[in-house]
Amino acid sequence: MARAETLIVPQPNLLEKIKNFFNAELINILAALLFLLLAIFLLYPIIAVLIKSIKGPQGFTLSYYIKFFIKGYYFRSLLNTLALGFINTAVCLVVGFCMAYLTTRGPLALRKPLKIVSMMPLIAPPYLFAISLIILFGHNGIMTKAFGIKWSLYGFTGVVVAQTLAFIPLAYLMIENTLKSLNPNLEESAYDMGASEVRIIRTITIPLLAPGILKAGLLVFVMTIAEFGNAAILGGRTPFLAPDTYMMIIGEADFEMGSVLSVVLIIPCIIIFFLHNYMLTGKKFTTIGGKPVASEPRKMTPFVQIPFLLISCAAGLAIVISFAMVLMASFTKILGINNQMVLTHIKNFNSNLAIYNSIKVSLVAAFIGAIIGTLLAYVIIRGKFFGRSFIEMISLSGFALPGTVIGIGYLLAFNTPPFKLTGGIMILALNCVFRFLAVGVEAGISKLHQINIEIEEASSDLGANFMTTFYKIVLPLMFPAFIAGFIYTFMTTIVSLSAVVFLVSPGFELAAVRIFDAAVYGEIGIASATTMKLVVIVVICMMILNYLTKKTGFDISQKKGVI
Amino acid sequence: MNAYPFMLILENIHKFYDRLEVLKGISMEVRKGELVTFVGPSGCGKTTLLRIIGGFTNLDSGEVILDGQRIDHLPPNLRDTRICFQNYALFPHMTVAENISYGLKIKKWKKGKIQERVEELLKLVQLEGLGGRMIDKLSGGQQQRVALARALSLEPKVLLLDEPLSNLDANLRLTMRGEIRKLQERLKITTIFVTHDQFEAMSISDRIVVMKEGAIQQVGSPIEIYERPANEFIAGFVGFVNFLDGTVEKVDIGLGKATASTPIGEVHFVPEWNINVGDRVKLVIRPETINISGAEPVGMNNTFQGEVEIGMYVGSLAKYTVMVKGEKFIIDQPNPRETFFKPRAKVYLSMPENIHLLMRN
Repeated sequence: MARAETLIVPQPNLLEKIKNFFNAELINILAALLFLLLAIFLLYPIIAVLIKSIKGPQGFTLSYYIKFFIKGYYFRSLLNTLALGFINTAVCLVVGFCMAYLTTRGPLALRKPLKIVSMMPLIAPPYLFAISLIILFGHNGIMTKAFGIKWSLYGFTGVVVAQTLAFIPLAYLMIENTLKSLNPNLEESAYDMGASEVRIIRTITIPLLAPGILKAGLLVFVMTIAEFGNAAILGGRTPFLAPDTYMMIIGEADFEMGSVLSVVLIIPCIIIFFLHNYMLTGKKFTTIGGKPVASEPRKMTPFVQIPFLLISCAAGLAIVISFAMVLMASFTKILGINNQMVLTHIKNFNSNLAIYNSIKVSLVAAFIGAIIGTLLAYVIIRGKFFGRSFIEMISLSGFALPGTVIGIGYLLAFNTPPFKLTGGIMILALNCVFRFLAVGVEAGISKLHQINIEIEEASSDLGANFMTTFYKIVLPLMFPAFIAGFIYTFMTTIVSLSAVVFLVSPGFELAAVRIFDAAVYGEIGIASATTMKLVVIVVICMMILNYLTKKTGFDISQKKGVI
Repeated sequence: MNAYPFMLILENIHKFYDRLEVLKGISMEVRKGELVTFVGPSGCGKTTLLRIIGGFTNLDSGEVILDGQRIDHLPPNLRDTRICFQNYALFPHMTVAENISYGLKIKKWKKGKIQERVEELLKLVQLEGLGGRMIDKLSGGQQQRVALARALSLEPKVLLLDEPLSNLDANLRLTMRGEIRKLQERLKITTIFVTHDQFEAMSISDRIVVMKEGAIQQVGSPIEIYERPANEFIAGFVGFVNFLDGTVEKVDIGLGKATASTPIGEVHFVPEWNINVGDRVKLVIRPETINISGAEPVGMNNTFQGEVEIGMYVGSLAKYTVMVKGEKFIIDQPNPRETFFKPRAKVYLSMPENIHLLMRN
């Protein structure tokens, strides 16, 4: 009997063919859909800004850019922004290094409290420091009146101080991370060879930390120049790019110049994003493994310890005082003028309504963000299509994009059909989803790296198709990353100001915008009380994250050092 | 001072981590030019002890005396000891030569002299011409040599090696083991070597310090440790061993022989020290000292019949588990060839008469 006769190959009908194709290509279809979303909600708004800045009444024009460089005011705004970025970065790195050195190498008793203080700004929106500075050094500030300090808070130095305090944790966290991962035997070897502590820091610690420090610096720089709140509240007559964009749009409805300012602001951000990415993949000093012996705290020499302590304590004290001021201002009539205890600020109806709105928007953003983040992570890691790394890059680029630019972009892009979104709650949520996507995606990616692909292969080997495998195997395993992305998006959205300030519609106010308005109009009590409420919400979120980290052993708080 | 025979004296060293006592009164001496190995299972305190000698960990009580001078209050840079860490701790942002000359520069040597010394050290560790290389362009064995050269650069009185071979693959480990020993003997440098590998310790040391749970179990030459372990732990730590409990039945002082009754019958042996009838002893019998054969050997004293339970042919030797009257014996048969016994084979075991003894309580 011929064998061929027994081999009857069933011919699939058309419906089955489509089904098979769909199953086999599902991951690519998913990737295409996600890319479409990224294109619409991340690339398109930025392109819209770019187009706006070069489109005159008669087509292409560079006249707005020429205006930018000729008119001193705009150009000064660029110089101020860059100067702010450099000074701020330098100060944050120095303070961050001193604090990180002390909390990893310093006296044991000091480590924990210093670490807590240096991380405190993480739980606050950056503009908390602008508010506390107004309380202390504003026109009616406590210090201003008590000591007759003539320091004009509103201007360059005020912004620098507020920004520095706000971004210390970012520098601290990243430097501490690299310091902790530095093999302690290296420094011990240098010590063994007779090097003094100053020499060890100079010849061993800092050179080895250089890539980490540089990365931290780039990140702080981007965050600083893009930060809107502090510069807008404390900038006074000193122009900075981010708040000027806001003034252009909201004050003068000059979308063209607003777009030019945005493009100018986004250029350094994009350059730095690429530098940062390049360095992530770039050269790293690897060392041979071996048990890292728990190194006993060396006795620090006073030459190092005293200046480090002075710097760290000064910064730490400023942070603690800032929190205390805002907390006290929430419960007093007008702190420093009428110190009567009141609850009116806390009970303020508008403030609570804004908080309620913010929670609503943040929940929507968190839900969408977590889903998109998880799916993106999946297609980036498991997909085999061309352009995977491009999608990864786009989805991680959000943190480098200034909120103000996204804000204008959304205004321009989604004001008219086909994507008319302005005035709704979705536009407020979506801009945050895509700006804060990076952490959710990173969390998903690192979770997926822990999940052996053979687990999924085993599932399909047992007969499951793509959907079943994804639903039954991948999603449950990725759940910690999903939750992490959810909470992270929630808490960054709720304090986020720079983009939504362009997008809120009258009658639907968000907490961050309410704080901003109150701070600008001198309603310090309301601003403080609302800020404190946000702080409480963020603390609760962090506690949940912490709990999850302990429970699942999956840590996202260190991802990228951005939080 | 020169007549002083000891380079390093440890005097009753105690160390606590929180409440946990990790070193429970360590005392010993290291002679000049000697290679002493601290060996023990992980957590026995050997690395902590090394770090205390090097000055990286403080002791809670006790003394460290280097060449007649107390040094336990000094920081590492003021001690004449140099450490070589397990992970080498080479500075990855420097070249080989920069690594080796790091300490020399700190000691403010002249440039020419530094160069000379670096060349000399490179030659010593057989890395001539590699001074300009970056560390990550070296193989594991080469990195190991650089670490050695760096530690030797300042001519320390004592060289401290913390598991120096654990990051090398098996073959390289054997080669480097030999080279370290050769170098050490040539320079006559007093060396303390920490390892968890008992065979490494046996093959490289003048003397071995066996540690367990923060206390010294035994100090002795490799032969002493292997042939006359002080207790069951050491006996089992340096290779496999068969224990046989027994009670002394007969002692013949004139002949220097004794007999003990054991579960498998009477065992005759040459006592190492004075024992009395009725003493409860534990006989320590190494697997390779037992002779295994298919026919009953003639004229042998301690011969017992048993049955092979498991036989494993490994080429250079065969390993057997043999049951004798319900007692299990592990036996190594050298060069088995065609005489390899299959399971359930009836075999005869002959034990030597010079059996090491432990006392039972």
